[in-house]
Amino acid sequence: MIEVHELRKVYGDRTILDGITASFARGQVVALVGPSGGGKSTLLRCLNGLESFDGGAVTVGGDRLVPGGAKANRAALHRVRQRVGMVFQQWNLFAHRTALGNVIEAPVHVKRVPLAEATERGKALLARVGLSHREGAYPHEMSGGEQQRVAIARALAMDPEALLLDEPTSALDPERVGEVLDVLGALAADGLTMLVVTHEMRFARDVSHRTLVLHGGRIIEDGPSREVIDHPKHERTRAFLGLDRR
Amino acid sequence: MNRVWWVLVLAMAVLSCHGRAAVVGGGLARVRAAGVLRWGGDIQGGEPYVYEDSEHGGRLTGFEVELANALARELGVRAQFVQNDWSALIPTLERGTFDVALNGVEVTPQRVGRVRFTRPYYIFGARLMARRNDPSVQPTLASLRGRRVGTLANSFSYELLRNVAEVVPYEGVEEPYIDLVQGRTDAVLLDDIIAARYGEPKPELRVAGDLADGYYSIALRPADDDLRAALDAALARITASGELERILRGANIFNDRQRRLVTWTDDDQRRMLGTAAAGQRFGWSHVALFGKGALVTLLLSALAMCIAIPLGLGLAVARLYGPSALSRIAGAYVELYRGTPVLLQLYVLYYGLAPIVKLNALSAAVLGLGMNYAAYEAEVYRAGIQAVPRGQMEAALSLGMTTPLALRRVVLPQAFRLALPSVTNDFIALLKDSSLVSVITVVELTKQMTITAVDIRGWGLPGALCALMYFTMSYPLSLLAQRLEARLARS
Repeated sequence: MIEVHELRKVYGDRTILDGITASFARGQVVALVGPSGGGKSTLLRCLNGLESFDGGAVTVGGDRLVPGGAKANRAALHRVRQRVGMVFQQWNLFAHRTALGNVIEAPVHVKRVPLAEATERGKALLARVGLSHREGAYPHEMSGGEQQRVAIARALAMDPEALLLDEPTSALDPERVGEVLDVLGALAADGLTMLVVTHEMRFARDVSHRTLVLHGGRIIEDGPSREVIDHPKHERTRAFLGLDRR
Repeated sequence: MNRVWWVLVLAMAVLSCHGRAAVVGGGLARVRAAGVLRWGGDIQGGEPYVYEDSEHGGRLTGFEVELANALARELGVRAQFVQNDWSALIPTLERGTFDVALNGVEVTPQRVGRVRFTRPYYIFGARLMARRNDPSVQPTLASLRGRRVGTLANSFSYELLRNVAEVVPYEGVEEPYIDLVQGRTDAVLLDDIIAARYGEPKPELRVAGDLADGYYSIALRPADDDLRAALDAALARITASGELERILRGANIFNDRQRRLVTWTDDDQRRMLGTAAAGQRFGWSHVALFGKGALVTLLLSALAMCIAIPLGLGLAVARLYGPSALSRIAGAYVELYRGTPVLLQLYVLYYGLAPIVKLNALSAAVLGLGMNYAAYEAEVYRAGIQAVPRGQMEAALSLGMTTPLALRRVVLPQAFRLALPSVTNDFIALLKDSSLVSVITVVELTKQMTITAVDIRGWGLPGALCALMYFTMSYPLSLLAQRLEARLARS
């Protein structure tokens, strides 16, 4: 459902994405791994138009994003962003809204869902991520793990066809990582399409169906997760995984 | 709360020191010893009184310059001009900054009770001017009952009009006639010298008539009575010798009224001074007037802020998110309004644009202050918006919000919360800046204070009450700002 074709992005004389082509099927859980600066996060942010790119195209469902940023893609961007939800490393919960307020904000104001209906749905979503008891809490009153689970519920509230997750556990205290991975595992089991930029190799190996290794703005390895992680072919992948295990 | 009282006590102490003459003893001996007669005036009053002659390198010129020189010569000393704001000539005289005030100082009962006057050196008519197409204004005070009449605050004409007409007090001599032409007032009553120069040249206006004779005299401190006597004698000499007439003719202001100066007697002097109006006591009626002034100040500030907040928000958003043309316009607006004095902006809005939009004084004041403060609010909001983490906008966009919706629902509410303490502080500043609008005839708290100070011949009590009222309005706001800041720091 997501097609990336010859995607290129440059910052001055640095090439961030160097001709990425890939396609992601419905129901697939994909891990994007690789060393820092390899282009994983940038690729993810290009998929919902948070970053503009300089060449190639992204197609989500029937909507096509082209180079030129928000100006060139105004109509498509709006639809793409309703199709794919995004979860950030730093959660980015709306600081002036409660947990429930964060979850119902977009359904009520973007999709025009009646408040009562959105609230009922929001409570169910918070229950699904195990936070029924925190409905009225403000972001600054919650732990990082709780905030990230609210952020996932917030993204799910728009009924996205896919979820983009940008290092969802990297900013968490180690003892909080598990609770977020548990939620993601449950979502994967439910068949939700997910693209996850992650450094959690155990998650990539055990939960995701497919792993892409990015290095220097290119995909250097792409295959079933167990195969890529247990038997990497590319020497860079081996080096990267070796460093990671140490 | 202790701190509050200290501030008040200090303010009272400073204000009550005001008005005590710094110099004591015989004025004549002092002037002779110094060899200079220091005379205070305001070159802003312009021709023909005292002004800088632009054709002669800004040399001090005017019939009062010649008069001062002649009088100094008679005393055997040199005359030295001291520039001072006209409306503060008497308080500054009392302070001892100069020996005499000599600059169209009219003899009014209030002033008679406060200073010593010499015999007059000029007799003027209080000249009533009206619009040529308005025959309803007659040359009598009675015909002005209930009409809006412009004049200078605390002038001879102001005293005549008081309790008769609705007086519109001005601070300059040109503006009353501009407003009369514009129809903002029904008539203007001012000294004939002023009328001849600023009113009569306007083709839309006509002279209705002169209502009363008034006198320009030299004012001195009561302690300097010997100097007053010496100046009286000198004036008598130059009047008798025809020198005064020559000076007045030179300025083109001699007329038949001035012949009375030659035959001036002690009886004339007594009649001119009248019975010194018993100084009004500061009473509840004044407090009520102050209350009214404070209400005007509060209303003005609140309404101006109601313009400044949404306009400032619009400017900040336009500057950060608008298309480049709009963003540049918003930027130019902010720089223009921050980079020029609000006094000038009020002038342009009220007088400069009068031929196009005829705003009344209060509307012009609200609009002028509001538009000025909008520039400052815009910068406060811009800082607030930029202080909201970028991730908030990205999260909102990722949920399918458009940029305007994301601004409205996510970024601005947080930016506004960040900006609120600054906005409150700006409102406190605005409360006090609002006193500037007295230049466009709005009588607010500070103006009321200066008017009352003349009536009761003292600045102490009115000043203290005025300060107290401003303080009463701003201190709760200051507390509010502190609480908002504390709340912000907690979250």
